[in-house]
Formats: sequence, C-alpha cells, structure tokens
Amino acid sequence: MTTSGISRRGALRMFGIGALGVAGAGALGACAPSGAGTSSNGGDTKSKNFDFTSWSLNEEAAKPSIEKIIAAWEKDKGSKVRAVSYPYNEYLSQLTLKLGGGGTTGAVHLDIAWLAAVAQMGKLADLSSVALKGGYTNVALDSGMYDGKQYGLPWNTGSIGVIANSKLLEKAGIKKHPTTIEEFEDSLRELKGLGGGVVPYAAATKVAQLKDIFPWMQTFGCTLLEDSKVTIGDDASIDAVTWYKKLHDEKLIAADVDRFDARALFGQGKAAFYDDAIIGKGVTAAQSKDKTLADAMQPMKRPVLRSGDTPQALLWGGVIAIVKGKGQDAATEFALHTTSDRATTTEYFASRALPPSTTAGLADPKVAQDTFTTEWTEKITDTATGSPFWQFAQNAQIEEAVAKQVQAVLVGKSKPKDAMKKAAEEVTDLIRR
Amino acid sequence: MTTTTTTPLSGTDRLRTSATSARRTKRRRIRKDLLRSRIAAWTAILVIGAFGMLPVYWLLATALSGPEQTFQFPPKLVPTDITFSNFTALAENDQLIKYLVNSLIVASITAVLSVVVATYMGYSFSKFRYRGRRSLMHLVLASQMFPQALLLVTLYAVFSSFGLLNTYTALVLSFTTFTMPLCVWMLKGIFDTIPDALLEAASIDGASRWRTLHSIVAPLAAPGMIAAGLFAFVRGWNDFIFAVTLADKEKQTLPPGLVSTYIGEFQTAWPELMAASLVVSAPVVVAFMFLQRYLVGGMTAGSVKS
Repeated sequence: MTTSGISRRGALRMFGIGALGVAGAGALGACAPSGAGTSSNGGDTKSKNFDFTSWSLNEEAAKPSIEKIIAAWEKDKGSKVRAVSYPYNEYLSQLTLKLGGGGTTGAVHLDIAWLAAVAQMGKLADLSSVALKGGYTNVALDSGMYDGKQYGLPWNTGSIGVIANSKLLEKAGIKKHPTTIEEFEDSLRELKGLGGGVVPYAAATKVAQLKDIFPWMQTFGCTLLEDSKVTIGDDASIDAVTWYKKLHDEKLIAADVDRFDARALFGQGKAAFYDDAIIGKGVTAAQSKDKTLADAMQPMKRPVLRSGDTPQALLWGGVIAIVKGKGQDAATEFALHTTSDRATTTEYFASRALPPSTTAGLADPKVAQDTFTTEWTEKITDTATGSPFWQFAQNAQIEEAVAKQVQAVLVGKSKPKDAMKKAAEEVTDLIRR
Repeated sequence: MTTTTTTPLSGTDRLRTSATSARRTKRRRIRKDLLRSRIAAWTAILVIGAFGMLPVYWLLATALSGPEQTFQFPPKLVPTDITFSNFTALAENDQLIKYLVNSLIVASITAVLSVVVATYMGYSFSKFRYRGRRSLMHLVLASQMFPQALLLVTLYAVFSSFGLLNTYTALVLSFTTFTMPLCVWMLKGIFDTIPDALLEAASIDGASRWRTLHSIVAPLAAPGMIAAGLFAFVRGWNDFIFAVTLADKEKQTLPPGLVSTYIGEFQTAWPELMAASLVVSAPVVVAFMFLQRYLVGGMTAGSVKS
C-alpha cells in the first residue's frame, strides 16, 4: 500500500512542479501559432463582412431594434454581419481577453466608461476623420475621445442625473425643484414629514452603486483628479461625505440602497428623488403599479453648493469603436450609419428612448417632442462630464475603493476625514499600478 | 369530629422514601436535560434548515410572483398573486432549451471522461511503483492550487490556436482540467483501501492486469467512481467563466445562458431568472437524490485504510 502523506520536501517539490506547470502552460499559450481567431490585425480590411459585438444583443428590450438595423444593413450592402454578445457585467473582461487574443474584429459597442481602457490596448482604429461626417454634438464627440483621438463614434449620449416625482413633491407642498444644497435639504425634510415610509431621496448607499457620490463630491468642489494627482481627501470631498452622512443619520436617505432598490422605491411612490440614467424612466415606470408614474417623472438639475455654480452630472452613453484589421472599412461605414443616420437613430430612439448623439437627430420632431428627453438634455446632459477615472483600466476598483470608504462613514465605522484620506491613498495606489 | 393520627415513619421507610424521591428528582432532571437537549437540537436543526432552505423558498416565491410583487418594498414573505407564467415562458424559449442541452452534453462527457481517466491514473498511483510517480501525483495536486481564472487566458490562446474555440471539445477539456485532479486523488484513496492480496489472488488465478482492474477493482470502487463522476458533473454543470469565454451562443451552457438572457444593463428579470434557476437545478437535485448514498460512501471510502 502506498502512503500518501506529504512531507515538507514533497510539498516544496509540488510547489516547484506547479510553478513549472503554470509557466509551461503560459509558454505554450505564448508560443501558440496564430490561428483563425488571432488574425484581426492582419485580416482583410476591405472585407464586406464583419462582426458586431454588443451586450445589447443579449437584451430583450434592445435586441429586436439592433437586429433590425443589422438586417437592413446586410440587405442594403449585400454583406454579412456576425452578431456577438456577452452579458453586460462580463462584457469588458471578455472583450479585453478576446481583443487581446485577436478574437474580436469589426465594430464593437462600448460603454463610454470603458473606452479608455480598451483604447489603451492599441487595437482600435482612429476615427477622427470619420467623426467629422457624423454631425455629432460636442458633448457626444467628447464621450468617444481618448488621448486626443476619436476612438468611438457616439451612438447614444445621455447622463446620470436626479429624477424627481412631481406628485410627491406636490403632496409635500414643494412648488419648484430645489436648486441649492440648502433648498434640497429643506425639501427632503418636508418630504420626510409625509410619513408612510417615504424615503425622501433614494440615494445609493450600497458599495455597488456608491460611485454616485462622485457628482456630489464635485458639487462640493472636489475635482477628484487634477494633473494626475488624486484630490479625494481634500476639504470638499470631506464636506460632501459629511453631508451624505448627515442625510443618512436624519433618515433623509436610506441604508442599503442600490439602483434597483431606488427604482423599486420610486416606482412605489416611496421616494421623491433618485439618481438614474435617462433610460431609467422607462425601466422604473414599467415595474410600477402606478401607470401615471411616467408622467410624474421629471429630470432635475443636481442642486449646487452656491447659487450660480454649475450643476454636476456624470456623462453616460455608448459608442461604437472599430477594431483595426479584418472588415475595418465596412465596419466603420456601418458604425457611422448606425450612429448618425437620422432615420436609423430616431427609430432607435422610438424603440429604446435613448437620445441620439447628433444635432440633426436631437432636432428631429420625434425626439424634440419628447419633453422628458429634451428637458433631460437641457438640464442634465448639457453640463455632464465624464469621470476622470475612466482613463484608467482600474476604474472599477477605484470606484469600489472610494465606495467602501464612504460606506464605512455611513455605518459609523470611520470618520469622513480618515475615510477620504484612506480612499485617496488606495486610489493613488491603484492609479500607479 | 374526627381525629387524624399520623404514624411516624421508621428509619428504613424514611430512607426508602428519600431514595425514591431522589430517584424521581434524578429522573425528572434527566428528563428535563433530555428535553432541553432535544429542544436545543431541534432549534439547531431548524436554524440550519432555515439557513439552507430559505434561499430556496425565496427562489420559489420569486419564481411564482409577477414583476410588480418582486420589486415590492418592503418585500413580502409570501407571494399573494401567484403566477406560473414564468415557468411556462421557459418552455417557449428555444434558446434556453439549447443551453440546457449543451449543459447536459458537456457535463455528462466531462463526468465520464474525468472518471475514466482518473480511474487509470488513480489505479496507477495506488498500485504501481515507478520513477516519477510521486512527482506526477504532486503535479496533479498542484494544479488545484491555482485560481482557475489564471489559466483562462492561456487556455483561450491554446484553444484559439488549435481552432477549438466555440466547440464542446473546448468546454469538456477545460472542465476536465479542473475536475480530474480531485477525481484522481479521490479514486487513488479508494484503490488504496483495496487489499493487494486481492490483486495477487486474481493474478494467481491468471487474470491480466487489465482484467484485474476492469473485473475486480472497478466494481469494488464503483461507489467512489460514481461520487467522482457526480462531482465532475456538478462542476461542469455549474461553471460560468470558462463557458462564457470559450463558447459562443451556440455552444454555451446554462450558467452564462441564464445571465445573458435575464441579467441586463438596466434591469434583471428576477421572476423569470428564479423560475429558470429552479428548473435547471432539478437534474442535479434528482441525480443527488438517487446517488447520494454512493456520494457519501465514495467520499469517505478512502479515509480509512485496511
């Protein structure tokens, strides 16, 4: 019979062999000949056929309208577009892996928050000259830029802002949207007075969504990042977190709320304000029993610290980028058509309520007559900016690091000053990696 | 008027009475202790049971609710408007059925392949002595010590270069990579418990080594092989990251399929997702119910040596 006990020498040998095994496997991967899947940079750029990768092709609400765009393109050009999709939460990691391995070609749908990380891989084509033909708005064009180059053609440009429930405001006797932090706090207290379990502001308090704190930090004057130096930890960021904690302690915001909870609360008429993207209106109204809720939803300028300050909002949207190599030319043409053709973009708006990114598209009666969209654009998107952390591949970790510290403050485990100091240190470390 | 006279107890009677009462007190105390320990045991069972079963109950309750009830705040423990539409919708979703078939194919082949290879490897490690045996055993074990995601990039590149991406082969091979080490060690432990004398007897009776393994050892190790197969099946059935990376929509299995179908950028279709999760977990639950005695037997078989 064999004894299977492992001696110290055996364990060391095992680790050695394991390390060798992993190194060997790595070497095998590195030495693997480039097969069919790794030909993106050497493929035929003139090919009429290409891939279109988008997470939306998985989603019930978006899939039919995108498939319609693809089908119309294929019919018109006599080409074949292969639809590729990954779940949204896995999209960036899957795309990065496959782009790195040459398995992704053609047109690629990207969240604007991911553009910088993907562009840094050096696989995307510069679309600066093509973008001039699209008639895009300046805000939209900016959302597709990285390091001075246009890597993405803006498909939908919106923002994440505050949505108000006019019915609840009216019930609380609030005649107009609050414009300053002070007015906002007063409104929240009046709303709390309504009772009935109303959470005046369903602000994000769970780590997963606490990145919503950034626009509030900016409202208090923190720039987040300046000349590659993290400014979280300055007085403004501490003031913002102290204020957030005050709202939490006064029960003007609730504990353990993420975007899904906020929509649920708002949908049941138990929250008067919450943060969401423009598309949130459709999602929240659809899951509410109150069929008049959609009419009561109003975009609101984020309150400012001092009257005259610029309201803060986070830019939000999607772009189509092009991978250099196989099918590049046709994919570029497709991206330009999809993002700027007036009929295509307005039809897409009609089915998904996602505002177009071109001046002509926004001016189209179908879009312009939608009060919510036009008000949203004027009140929120016009002053929205991208996060300075999007340029880093570690953006998700950066957001999480700050979110964890803010949550520590909310639950009383840390003081705002200490928490922001720690957050700054962690973010600085992440940026340096 | 009546007078009651009490006869004083004798010393023996007093002793007997006090002994009886002491016995009674002791018995009462024992009964009380027994009751207390029973209550404690049942409370523990209930708490642990609730801990294990409440998520399943919540899964069922959500699967039987409409979207409006799902998002009710605060949530209701018992759904009021019960609907089966989330289950009927499953049957109409061809893509989900395709994912289910893919899962069955991939998990079954993974289980069979893992058991077949692990049987030969485990037998070899257990019953033969040759140069490099221990190193090989350690190498097999060492492969379990690295996070699976670490090998994902390498496997992706290798499968891509061999044109195996988006095939069942890629999924089966990658799943087997992670199921085999444990299967090998599990089966080696079981083979260790089979006395060498039995093999010698078979040899004296003229059985070849192959015959000995297939006709004598394998039947004796059957519970362990079933346990190893079940482990490999569940591992293949549940994998997400390899399935989403190495296979396209045509070959994808249920875990990434469910995420793709029900979890979106803006919302998650919780009731449908819960209904689908309940249905797809059924094959594993049924397999466990039928094979659990083998699983328990197989897992512990190698723990004691004869």
